[in-house]
This record gives sequence, structure tokens and C-alpha cells, in this order.
Amino acid sequence: MRAIKVTLSLLLSLMLAYALNRSWNLGVPIPPLGKFLDPFHGYRQNAETGASRNLELIIAGLKNQVVVVYDSARIPHIFAKNDEDLYFAQGYITAVDRLWQMEFQTHASSGRVSEILGAVALDYDRRQRRLGLVFGAQNGLSSMEKDPVSKMTVDAYTAGINAYIATLAYEDFPFEYKLLDYGPEAWSNLKCALLLKSMAQTLNMGDKDLEMTNALKLYGKQVVDVLWPDQEPVGDPIVDKPSAWKFKNPLPDDIPLAVPNEMIASRPYEKPSPEVGSNNWAVSGSRTASGAPILCSDPHLNLSLPSIWYAIHLNTPGHNSMGVSLPGSPGVIIGFNDSIAWAMTNAQRDLVDWYQIQFKDGSKNEYLSDGEWKQSRKAIEVFRVKGRAPFIDTVTYTHHGPVVYDESFHAESERTHYAFRWIAHDPSGEVITFYKLNRARNHAEYMDALDYYSSPAQNIVFASASGDIAMRIQGKYPVRRKNEGRFVLDGSLTSTEWKSFIPNDQNVADKNPARGYVSSANQYPVDFTYPYYVTATSFEAYRNRRINHLLESSSKVTVQDMARMQHDNFNLRGAEALPVFLPLLDSASFTPAERNAFDILKMWDFYNNPESSGASYFFAWWRALMPMVWDELDSAHVAMQYPTAYNTIHLIKNLPNLSFFDLVATPEVENATEILQKSFSISVQTMEDWKATNKAEPEWALYKDSYIGHLLRQRALNVPVRSGGGTAVVNAHTQTHGPSWRMVVSLEKSGVRAIGIYPGGQSGNPGSPYYANMVDPWAKGIYKTLHFVTNPADLAGVKVSSTQLTPMQ
Amino acid sequence: MNFLKQLLATIIFSLVLQYFLPWWTLMLGAMAAGYLYGKDGFAAFGAGFLGVALLWAIASMILDAQTQSILTNKVALLFPTKTPALLLVLTALVGGLPGGFAGLTGAMMKRMTAAG
Repeated sequence: MRAIKVTLSLLLSLMLAYALNRSWNLGVPIPPLGKFLDPFHGYRQNAETGASRNLELIIAGLKNQVVVVYDSARIPHIFAKNDEDLYFAQGYITAVDRLWQMEFQTHASSGRVSEILGAVALDYDRRQRRLGLVFGAQNGLSSMEKDPVSKMTVDAYTAGINAYIATLAYEDFPFEYKLLDYGPEAWSNLKCALLLKSMAQTLNMGDKDLEMTNALKLYGKQVVDVLWPDQEPVGDPIVDKPSAWKFKNPLPDDIPLAVPNEMIASRPYEKPSPEVGSNNWAVSGSRTASGAPILCSDPHLNLSLPSIWYAIHLNTPGHNSMGVSLPGSPGVIIGFNDSIAWAMTNAQRDLVDWYQIQFKDGSKNEYLSDGEWKQSRKAIEVFRVKGRAPFIDTVTYTHHGPVVYDESFHAESERTHYAFRWIAHDPSGEVITFYKLNRARNHAEYMDALDYYSSPAQNIVFASASGDIAMRIQGKYPVRRKNEGRFVLDGSLTSTEWKSFIPNDQNVADKNPARGYVSSANQYPVDFTYPYYVTATSFEAYRNRRINHLLESSSKVTVQDMARMQHDNFNLRGAEALPVFLPLLDSASFTPAERNAFDILKMWDFYNNPESSGASYFFAWWRALMPMVWDELDSAHVAMQYPTAYNTIHLIKNLPNLSFFDLVATPEVENATEILQKSFSISVQTMEDWKATNKAEPEWALYKDSYIGHLLRQRALNVPVRSGGGTAVVNAHTQTHGPSWRMVVSLEKSGVRAIGIYPGGQSGNPGSPYYANMVDPWAKGIYKTLHFVTNPADLAGVKVSSTQLTPMQ
Repeated sequence: MNFLKQLLATIIFSLVLQYFLPWWTLMLGAMAAGYLYGKDGFAAFGAGFLGVALLWAIASMILDAQTQSILTNKVALLFPTKTPALLLVLTALVGGLPGGFAGLTGAMMKRMTAAG
């Protein structure tokens, strides 16, 4: 009897231990409670005080001693004796602050999120594999490892990360591993490649080929050209030097279109956000107070925690560079050194094509190409789904690329197969670019570094202490015929394929233009005399004109002026739209609330300042207007994309009786004026509802309700932000997207000075005081001084902690 | 008296084991304490439960105080508990339960061997 009782009690104890030692999914995921809440190893071990810590670590794999000094913003200043040690230390130190994020992002890139989050992520994962992210990263890796310098860089970086991982016991695991109940795996060079491919996916995977093909079928070429023109009649191109292009496009001027017999079904994935974009500019010494060039950068991305960027200072004898890095990729990506500064905005270019494929039969083993049956390749993809048996997927590859959608994946209505051709599938040498850029001393060396760069295509601005400013729109661009890339292409004809790429020396570039500045903000890249055909999903129409206007009307600018300009809240879209819209409203029929809204809009100074309610009313109106104008596209129930904001305003102004202004759902025939009136009434109603729910006046910062979201989309880990700005505004901060880094660099002969900040913190640990400490100053327009020194002793005044890495004897 | 002894022993044994080894080794400590000092079933369970619950609660409170609950404030929102105080109760409970059952098992083993 006693024995039974003991056994029972023991059994109960063991069951309890087991139950509390693992995670469960009871509708909501439950972390392993015993492990997680245990104060000696669980999440509380991740709570930090930010107090000074001076570590001395003995590390195998180093050649010489490396000194790392953390300043008051927890920016590490890494002083190494040679390149291998430098990148080893960069990997190690980055992993200390960002390991979970680095790994999670590469898992996301390679379609492995379901290993961590379970079946909910399987569709996302399959899409990533079917888009060929891993395929592209493997091609990227092979070129990365072919060049000795880039191989050394990546090898050392990877070794550094792995040296850090090797020191970790469960209690040291970053917080998210404990929450989700898994552990870090070894880093690899492939993961570095995957990270760069995921940047390419964010920035260079925009396309609307399927949508445009549907539009072409439904409305014909004439309407397509009115609604989605290749070039909108607006804007200052990034490089404007008519007739200076001394070469020709070698290809014929047109391409046969391949319009399929049926409409293309809804696209099953989220498109890259149109709020992804950026500003950069450089002002020559002739326009600055100090006489030295000033370079400015603010890349706009989805603002997330842990932060996208990791600020870092890298120093070896003969090399000193500082700026921000991408956790998971070696070197400084946007920054400066003793002689030059550089920064990127996204180049708007169509680098995606969809080829219609004719398979011989349902097996998809052979497909037609120039009258012959070509063999396809089948890639078997295995997904180790958490809490479920592995899922196996077969992806068919043609020589164009993978067939993303087929009978087994989002086959909604598709009978036609399309192969996906994407520039980021190709080998590329970005690691060499950053290695060289970090060390470049002048314009010629900047140009040389960029020759290795292919994807994601960027507008790379440059300024040097020797007084040059420059811009180059660098990437690997297929030479296109007119209209090529706007619609789906016939994959059975090799004549429709990418035949050649624009040679580097024929890419759009400019150096020391007469106007004394260069700038880019994702607008149309070049004047119309450029010999190559340029097309893209969209071009930004507003920020570029505002930036150039501000630069044009200023002189003797200072670093502070430039910082203020990065926070410019002028809403050019509102300033252009409202003087057209407001007089068209019939004010006699206004309700009191509409009268009030009308007065607020009339009084609005067009600045999206935090306290402005005009900005809120305009935003709400715009949000009501667009779906009403383009209801035809929604009611077609196939993949469609709205025309741009700029073009919509242009059409309201110039073609107010366009048939698209008619509402499909009503028997009457509406025109632009009636649509404006209706959408205005609806938007005022939504504002009244908002005011009732929130019991507050709709000032812009409240109404916009911005926050910086944790990668796991857990509200508790998000950080709210109060700020102005918005879409089409230089200060491009929307609810979730915005300036992910702001930097102003003054390239003075006596030494390069810089300030910078981003909305996050250097530590990726939600339990660290450095997790989100820069969010508030960022929102208020305050910058951190970037302490750009040449030896550790110069940091004495700002040093908080240090780590000394000593080679194992 | 024995209750207090078992309680103290549970705290000390669990602390030492836990400090170096994974969390579940606390059960070995609580079991040993129950074996040495445990008498009747309820008291043995109670001392084991209370010992580990106190250990976990006090250690958690010290860590939270040191770090101004920087992480506990966030984790509390991730749980249905919502407040740091309730999260602390949950922590004590999650430690206490296995502690209690291990203490009970220890005491029962003792009685079995004594009787045998």
C-alpha cells in the first residue's frame, strides 16, 4: 500500500516536472513555465541594469588582442590589429546584443519560422522557399566565397558569432529563445547571404506585373497608360543631365506581350510596403557654413525591435569607419570613415519578371522553350514544423526561376503557371563593396567599390573631405525594351528573356553637379534622355521635390539645419490636393461636424506636426477617397493595384469625368466632385467615431498612433511613439514605418564629425535599459554624437563598459 | 519543529542544486529534505511547497528590485496575469508545486523504508 502511494507521488512529481519543462500550445502558446519562471535560469536572468561591466575574455581563433569600448549609447568601438580579428570581433560583439534577432531574421528569410512558431507560419515559409530565397542565398554564398577578401571577411564574422554562441548556457540565452522554448544553432556564411537576400526582398522585390496584366486585359493599353503611366509628369529626377549620356540601348524598342487567356487570381502574399523608401542628400562645401560637404541619410523601413540597425565603430591600423551595420552582415553598411561618407536610398527599378510557362503535362517535368521541351528541376523542400510531422513541398524550377504558385500552393484559380525571375537569385558581391567602401579614401575608390554591388539596387550618395559630392544609382539592371517588365512575359520564347545587363559605367551617376547638391528620395531616377528603358512599381512624387526645394532655398547650411530638415513635416501631397479638393465641396449641405472638419482643413498649414488635427482629417479623407475612386479594381476580384496617390490627384484635377470616378455599387453615374463629397462625409463620420471612442481631439500624433513593434508582434514588447511626419513627408514616419536611422556627417578637413540616432536601442534584449532608450530622443529630433576617434584612450569621457578579447595562447 | 527543519532544508538543498543545475533538480533537494525531516503527508507537502515557493519568490523579488522589474513588467503583460504581483504569485506556485510533491514523495519514502 505504501509502495503504491510512494510510486504514485513520485509519478505525479515526474509528470509535473515534465509538464513544466516544456512549452504547450493550448490555443495560445504557453512557454515552459518551470524553466521560464525559474529565477536562477529563467527570464529574470535576462534583466539587466546597464551598469558598467569590464570583461576580459580569452577567445580561441583570434590572432591579436581586440579592445572594445562601449560608449554611453552602448555603441561598441572595436579596435583590432588586423582584418580577421576585426570581423571576428564584429560578429562576436553583434551577437552579444542581437543573437536572437540575427537568427530569427535568417530563419524568416529561409522559410524556417514554422520550426519555431508552428503550423501558423507554414504558408509564409513555403512562400519564402518558393520565391527562391534560399536558392538566391546559395548563389550569393558561392560568389561570396569565391573572392578571397570577402571569404575572409565572412569567415571571420561567422567564427566570431559562433565563438559567442559556444559560451552560452540556457540562462544566458536571449529572452525570446526562452519564451519560445528553443535554442540558438550554429551561424554559417549562408546566413550572412540569407540576410542580404531578405534586404533585397524588402527593397527590390516590388512588382505589379500580374496586376498590370489583368488591367491590360480588362481595360486595354490606353487606359493602362492613363492610370499607371511609366513616368508621371512630376518631380526632379535624381540625376538630371539631359543629353549627357553618350551610349545607346542596343536592344530593339519593343517586346511582344504575352497576355494570358484568363485573369490572374488574387496574389496570396503581402507586397512590400510602399512606405519603404528613404531620403539621402549631400551638400557641397559651397552651400555649407563650414565650407565642408555635409551628407545626410535616413532610410525608411518597417520600424522594429530589436532594431534593424546596429551602430558600430570599426578600427584597424589604416582603417577607421563608423555608422550602422545590419546584424548578420559584416562591415558598416551606411556610414563614414576618415575621408568619405556614403548612404543609400532604395532605387526604384523593376527587377522582377513573371514568365508564362507551358508545361508538357501535369508532371511539370518538361516545358516549352523555343519549340523544344526543356527539362525542369524539382527541388524538394522539407519544413520541420513545430508540433507536427515535417511537411514536404516540391518546387519546380525552370531556367527562368521557380514556379511560385501551382496546384499545391495558392492554386485559387490559376491554370497558367508563371516562373519567377528575380535579380536577387543571381550571384553578387556586396560584401566586397562594403569592405572597400569602409576603406575608400576618395571618389575613385567609392566608384570602384560600387562596381561589385548588384542587389538590392540603391541610390548611393557620396561626399568626401576632399570636397566631392556624388550620387550613383547602382545595381544590376537588365537591359529592357520598352514595356518589358510591366506585364507577364512569354516564357516559351528565349527572345523575351533578359539578354544583357547595363554596364556599370552606364548606370545613372553624377558628380559635383552645378547646383551644389545631390539628393534622392525614391523618385524617377534620371532625365528622359537616358538611353535605357526604366520602369518600376512606383516612383515617389513628393519627398524629392520638398527636399530639393529646401536645399535650393538655403545656403550656408549647418549640421543642425540638416538635422532639422530630416524632421521636416511639410505634407506636399496635402498642399497640392486640398486647394483642388476643398473648393469642389458643396458647403451648403454640410452637417456641423463636416463644417468643423472643412474649417480645420482650410486652416491647416499642411504641416504634419504632432499636434496638428488638419493632418488627421486629411489622412482620413484620403483613406476614404482611394477605395471609392478605385472600387472598380477591388470589384474585379483579381490581383489589381491602385494607381499612385499622385496620379489619382492628377486625374481628379484633369479628368474629373473619367469613368473610374463612377461608383460601381450605385445606379447613378458619379464624377470626381461627387466622389470627393461622399468620401469627405464618410471620413468626417470616421473622425467623429474616433473622437467618441478616444475621448480626445484627433491631433495627428494620437490619431497616427505610431509604435515600434517587436519582431514577434507581441504588444507587450512594443514601444509606443508620439511623433509627427507621415507618408509623402520628408519625416516619413507613419504608424509603423519611418526613418530607421538618421545620420548627418560633416566632412571637415580637420576631422569627420557625425551625429546619428535610430528608433530603438543597441541591445536587442527587452530586459536591457538599452532596448529602446533611443526611441524618445529620436521622436523628439535629438541625435547622439557619434564618437569617431582613432584610439580607445580618446573615449575615456564617454566609456561605460569594455570588453577585451584576448587570443588563447 | 520538523516542519521548520524540512522547510529550511528544502530551501538550502534546492538553492544549492538549482544554482548549478537545471531548475527541476530542486525536486531532488525537496525530496531529500522531505526524506530527512518529513513526517505526515500534508505537512511534508506544505514544507516542500513553501520552501521552494519562498526561494523562488525571494530570488525573483531580489532580481526584480535590482533591475527595477524592467523585464518582469513586460513579461507580466505577456501572461494573463497582467501584473508583476500576480506573475510573482505564479512564479511561486510553479516552483512550489513540484517542491511540494517532491517533499511529499521524500517523506513517504522515509515512512516506507522505516516501516520496511
